[in-house]
Parts: sequence; C-alpha cells; structure tokens
Amino acid sequence: MPDKDLDSPGGRDISSLDFDGDGILRLKWARGVVIDAPNAQLAMDRVNELCGGQPTPLLIDMATTDSVSRAARAVFAKPCDASAIALLGSSAVDRVLANFFLGVNSAPVPTRFFTNSDEAVRWLTSQGHDRA
Amino acid sequence: MTGRDDDRRLEELVDGIVVLSSGDLSNRLQVSPARDGIDAVTTGINLLAEELQSMYEDLEVRVAERTALLEAAKAELRRVINTDELTGLASRSLLQEKVAEAVAAAGADRQPALILLDLDSFRLINDSLGHAAGDAVLRETAQRLGAAAGAGHLLARLSGDEFAVLIVDREPDAVLEIASRLGESLKDRIVAGGVAVALTAGTGVRLGEPGLRSEELIRDADIAMHEAKKRGRDTLLVFSAAMHEAAKQRVHLVAELRTALATDELELEYQPIVDLRSGRIAGAEALIRWRHPSMGTLAPDTFLEAADEAGLTVEIGHWVLGKAIAQTGRWKSGPGLPAGFSTHINLSPADLHHLDLAPYVESLLARHGVDPGDISIEITETAIMRGGPEVTATMQSLNDLGVRIEIDDFGTGYSSISYLRTLPAAMAKIDKSLLDGLTTDRQQESFVAAILQLIHSAGLGAVAEGIEDREQAERLQQMNCEFGQGYFFSRPLPVADMTDLLAHGNGAAA
Repeated sequence: MPDKDLDSPGGRDISSLDFDGDGILRLKWARGVVIDAPNAQLAMDRVNELCGGQPTPLLIDMATTDSVSRAARAVFAKPCDASAIALLGSSAVDRVLANFFLGVNSAPVPTRFFTNSDEAVRWLTSQGHDRA
Repeated sequence: MTGRDDDRRLEELVDGIVVLSSGDLSNRLQVSPARDGIDAVTTGINLLAEELQSMYEDLEVRVAERTALLEAAKAELRRVINTDELTGLASRSLLQEKVAEAVAAAGADRQPALILLDLDSFRLINDSLGHAAGDAVLRETAQRLGAAAGAGHLLARLSGDEFAVLIVDREPDAVLEIASRLGESLKDRIVAGGVAVALTAGTGVRLGEPGLRSEELIRDADIAMHEAKKRGRDTLLVFSAAMHEAAKQRVHLVAELRTALATDELELEYQPIVDLRSGRIAGAEALIRWRHPSMGTLAPDTFLEAADEAGLTVEIGHWVLGKAIAQTGRWKSGPGLPAGFSTHINLSPADLHHLDLAPYVESLLARHGVDPGDISIEITETAIMRGGPEVTATMQSLNDLGVRIEIDDFGTGYSSISYLRTLPAAMAKIDKSLLDGLTTDRQQESFVAAILQLIHSAGLGAVAEGIEDREQAERLQQMNCEFGQGYFFSRPLPVADMTDLLAHGNGAAA
C-alpha cells in the first residue's frame, strides 16, 4: 500500500495494508484508533481494491484499536472480497471488542478471533482460498 | 499499575456505570492504555451502552414513524366519517358536530337555522332507471344545492335522498329565501340514464331559537320535512310547535299501538261485497279497527301511517292475515260460506316486499282449513306500480298458490294501462272517488264505463266500492260491473253480525 494512500484523510487510521508471503492480506490499524463507520468503510474499500474481486484471506490486527463503533461493525458485516477474516488481538480488551463483533453482527464470511498470529495464519490457510 | 490505581479505576468504572444507569446512555467510560481486565470490562460496558442507546434510538424512530402512520390513518378515517362518499358533501356526523358548534357559538345572538330536503319519488328513479342513474341524480342534486345555498353554509347528505343545509348568522327571511332557492334549483331537468327527470323536494326548515339544543334543531327540521312530505310534492314547511305536538302524539300513538297488538285491542270488521248481478253475498273485505281504551274505535287511517313510520306495518299485516284467514276457516265450519265467497284482505307495500309472504299465507290456509280460492288479497295500484320486482314476485307466488289478487283503488294511481294485462290479478276495485257524479253527470258515467271496459278487456272482474244508493248500484250493474260494496249494502260489520248475515242472510244482501 503506497504511503500517500495511507496518508489521505482517514487513511492515517490504517497503519499498514499489504499482502504477506502466504498471500494473506494484512490490515493493521493505527495505534489508539477509534474505528467508526467512515474509516471502517475506507478500510473495506482499500481491501476490496487490493483483492480486485478475488476472494482473499484477511488478517486484521486490532491489537491497538481503542474502540469499534456500532456503525463500523455494521460496515464490517457487509460482504467484501475477504474469503475469511482472522481478527488478531492480544489483550482482554481486544477479545471483548472482537467477540462483540462476532456475537452481535453476523459476519458474511468465516471470522474468528486469535491472540496468536501463527494460529491465525494457519486457520486462514486452512480455509482454502485462491490466494492462500 | 498499582493496586491503588486499580482501585481508582474501578471507582471510576462504578461512577460511569451509575451515570449510565441514570439513563444517560451517551456516557462512555475511559479505557486506559493498559488494556487489561478492567479495560476489557470498561470496553464491554461501553459497547453494551452503545448497543442499548442505538436500540432506543431505533425504537424512537420507529415509534415516531408508527405514530405518524396512525395520525394519517386517523385523519383519513375522520375524512371518511365526515364526508359523504357519493357526493363529497358533509356526512350526517359532521353536520351534527357543526350544528352543535353553531348552536354553542351563537349564544344569545343570531341563531343558526337548519334546512332539510328530501327528494320526492326518488325511489322511482332508482327503481326504473337503475342505481347508477340514481347516483348521478344525487351528485347533480348536491351540486345544485351547493350553488343555490351559496358559499359559507355547510351542506350535508344525511341518507339516500335527504340533504341538509346549516345556515349560520342569517335573519329568518334570508333563511327562507335560501330554502326556497334550494327547492327551485332542482326543477331544471336532470338527464340521468338517458332520461330527463324533473325533481322536487319536501323541505323542512327549523329557525333556531335561544336555548334550543342542537339535537332539537335537527329533530324539528326533520319533523317539518316529514310534514312537508306528507302534504305532497314540492312543499316547504317551517317548523311550528303544533308539528312537534303532532309528532309527540304520533310517538305516543305508536307506543300504544305496540301495546294494542300485544293486548288484542285490534280487531277486524267485515264489509260485505255483493254480486251486483244476483244480489248475493260474494265476499267480505276485512277492515282493521282499533278499540282504543280511551279514544273509542279508531279507523285505520288514524293509525296506519304512524304504524308505517314505526315499522309496525308488517307485524300488523301478519296479524290481519292470521285473523282473517282464521275467521274464514271458522265461517267455513259454520254457518258455511256461500258459493264463490272470498274474504278480501288488504296488504301494504311493506308486506309485499317480504318474499316469505306467500309461504306464510300458505301455512295459515293449511292451519285453518281454508282453500286458497276463499281468499282475495287486495293490493293498491300505487303499491304495485312502485313495488318493483319483489312485489311482482310476491304477487306471482300468491297467484300460483291459488289466492286471488285484486288491484285496489284502481284509477287513483299513476299507472300505465299496459300493466293491467301482465299482472297476475283477477279483479280490479274501482275507487269510490270515481263514483261521485255517476248518476248525475253523463260524462262521469261514460268515464266509469270506459274504465270498466278497460278492466274487462284485460280479462279482470270489477268491484265498485263506496256504493251509497240503489241508483248507483243499478247503474253499475247495467254497466256490467260484477261486484259492489258500500253503505248501501252494508257498513263494515263486527264478526258476530257478519256471521249472522252469513247464517241467516241466505247469501243475499240488501
């Protein structure tokens, strides 16, 4: 993801967005970000742009997010190019945020919360995707 | 992070929960960078609060939407209740509301007035031209009345062909002028169903008075309108206290009549009908009387109209049928009926509208051992002409049963001559008004002769009623009128006297 895109309004909330060696698209939110509907939509648009219409495993690192608004959760619940989503966190706060999303909103694709990056990658790979 | 810090954070968390539980769901609790267990609880509470707040907001939006829908439905319902669908005029309920408002607003000042109009013979239009034409006439009537009344007055349609105009803040003369204009506006012909019809209306006016309640204003206008209708077509009457008195008496009379039906105060008298060729008794017409406890014997014309208004006509008709057929059965058993004798029973238009009349008559005949030929049913010419298909069907059913049908009051209605041949009738009774001048006026004699010829040409027999002297009886006999009745032969007789006549009269009268 070119830096200028991430520097655009709202783009600063995304710390990085790119593919790793396993063909997994990794999204990392900026530290202390408050995710609301506009920046959630921006992230989704960026993800879809990079996927180019191809179902792609997505790993979202939310370890440093401050909060996720209800409207933002509704955006994530919309169908996108992600074929499976692993939510990666580390703290009890991340677990609450992730599980609230999983419990209240019905995700359009298989979605799970992990505290371990390797486990998240294994799970995404096991889901079977074009890219992974 | 120290234990003291945790205590402080927990205290802040509790404070935050207290604020939330007080109803302020917009409050959010601070999450620390530690992202530890306390922060996780805080985050969870924040998320739950947001969820709850959002649900409340959704609910409020939905409640607002539903309330708006309900309000719209209520407004639409009110519009429907307040509007007459056919003409777009105000409905009865709106008129009542506006009259009440006008009366209340008038106080001791100039009082509101109410004009009621009921179209004359509107049913004929519906029956002969169809309901679509009838509706077109009502719509045109509404427009004309609106134009004639002028702006600023509430115009309502109360029922079928009844209209009302509420006049506020006008002198009595101006009210009467408007009332007269309303009636005049209807007289230009209206084309409906391809036919041009001329309308008139019975109009009742109630000029308001201080202290008169709104329901009294409506009631009195109605009394005046009904009185106008009774006096004939195209009549306008202003309410008077005497009318109210008469209406009260009618209500009283109806109440008494209900009691009379239950307590057997009604009875039948029988007026012999004579075969003019032989002088023998050919039948008797059953005539209802009311032995009123304080007013003495009342003739039907004093109470049948009130009975009709009160919807008692059918009940009385059934009572007459029951009594007369039962009496005929008793006469058959003793002293016996002369050959060709039949009891004549009058039925009203209301009776004839009941399709179960013929089965009812059939059951009475069977119960009392009376042959259908022992009974003649008299139906007025006007009832037949205005009756429509139900009346024709009932007449046909009675005829099929073998009961003879007689056209009563022949020569008084507006009849088309051709119907005489198509009706299932056996006899026609010439109205007594036609006998006036029969023996003194050559022209009247020719006229009656022509009527008799007409009746005979249609294959019917003729009965003349109201014969008062021998000369009339002889003249009618010479003119080939087969039957006659009237004071010359006999007044209507109580049952005992009629029985006596049948027993000892040897079949001969006068």
